[in-house]
Amino acid sequence: MLVELERVSKRFSHNGASTEVLREVSFSVEEGEFVCLVGPSGCGKSTLISLIAGLESPSAGRVTVAGREVRGPGPDRVVVFQESALFPWLTVRKNVEFGLKMAGISPASRQRRAAEYLRLVHLSRFADAYPHQLSGGMKQRVAIARALAMDPKILLMDEPFGALDAQTRRLLHEELMGIWQKTGKTILFVTHNVREATVLGDTVLVVSARPGTIKKGFKIKLPRPRRESDPHLIVIQQRILLSLQEEIAKVVKDEGLEHLIPKTAAVAGADRDLGSSL
Amino acid sequence: MLGLVGRRLTDAEFLSALGGSLRRMVIGYGAVCAVGIGAGVVVGRTRWLNELFGTVAVAIHAMPGAVWVPLAVFFFGLSEAAVIFTIFLGAAGITMANTSNGIREVPPGLLRAAETMGARGPALFWHVTLPAAVPRIVDGLRLAWAFGWRALMAGELLIPSIKGMGRLLNEVARARQLDQLIAFMIIIAVVGVVVDYGFFRRLERGIAARWGLAG
Repeated sequence: MLVELERVSKRFSHNGASTEVLREVSFSVEEGEFVCLVGPSGCGKSTLISLIAGLESPSAGRVTVAGREVRGPGPDRVVVFQESALFPWLTVRKNVEFGLKMAGISPASRQRRAAEYLRLVHLSRFADAYPHQLSGGMKQRVAIARALAMDPKILLMDEPFGALDAQTRRLLHEELMGIWQKTGKTILFVTHNVREATVLGDTVLVVSARPGTIKKGFKIKLPRPRRESDPHLIVIQQRILLSLQEEIAKVVKDEGLEHLIPKTAAVAGADRDLGSSL
Repeated sequence: MLGLVGRRLTDAEFLSALGGSLRRMVIGYGAVCAVGIGAGVVVGRTRWLNELFGTVAVAIHAMPGAVWVPLAVFFFGLSEAAVIFTIFLGAAGITMANTSNGIREVPPGLLRAAETMGARGPALFWHVTLPAAVPRIVDGLRLAWAFGWRALMAGELLIPSIKGMGRLLNEVARARQLDQLIAFMIIIAVVGVVVDYGFFRRLERGIAARWGLAG
């Protein structure tokens, strides 16, 4: 197993009040696997990413990557965030070179690798542009190239396409699939969009409402590229949604929004961003 | 009037006064940049200092530059050093405040991203925190120039033993030469405007374009 979480719990304290965000989460990710985590907003999905990235440390339990306990950030685990977090003062090329520069790699080989990964995300033409000159989807592709240039063992993606429109998102799904198949990277992908999770993942893990736990896991063996309208996929989506619905109902109740939910209507559709419209 | 301004600009006595004023400004402003940015970085990165100076900074901003002159004279006598110190006191606060705010307001997402790519310690600071704060720092430096220029004039007007624009103003006013007085005032305003628009606005526009900021 490349990534293993063993009974990982996480509490945050703020002004004396302690919140349990994750409770005894255990799961593992195989080398080369594409795992999606879905769950209602505030369920601690992003915290899981931070724990594996080493940006946070667990309150209890263990996170190991390639058999070694995570004790801080490392170049074997790079994160792609929802806001691309590109450095606005650097060109696209320099952004992609950033991690390599931090690793002390020579300028010549930095340039070579940056060019290679910009080609992979089809953005070679924009190497000298600044991030603000790019669209949201292009920024995310640069962020992916920047992460991949580090040649990490695992790519952690925290709702990377969450802020994009449906059309762009679909294109990026294809792009990401291509990259995954070409590079064979292990990817852990957080989303609140069930359709996105089923189109991309080998495994979809459903995270419960806070405190987050792994509620259920779904293996998806359908061949790729997957069509969103594939009936097999829709069946799986419905099963995942069913499992999620209870969790969303909990969030709705916690936030005092029951009155907004008509009794007869489904809380979420597969392509709705779960809970985001509440 | 323009002819008078023009004639003044070729007058040796005037030029040496203007040169003296500019020299003090350059020294004072240099100290402001070095100390203001340096202190701002330290304050921006130290939580308790930041809380302490947050309140003090507001009080300092509210202080007109001229108020510092007696304090400067107290320490340095009626000397050139007192004028330079007035510039320093009048402009260092805003530089420090903007620098520390800029440092503190670096988007946490950028820092997290940099950390996952192996940046930490000094490298994180030089390659992420500081460049991310540059727009705010430059904004502070522009204000500091304006504050410093006012403080310089206040200092020179109140410390007449020093050869500079302030003393010239006093002299022509005492001699009741209104046209001369206005000519000097125009020159002082023009120097301020030239530096502000010719240098700082351009610099800010360049930074805004590169950093992708609106406006």
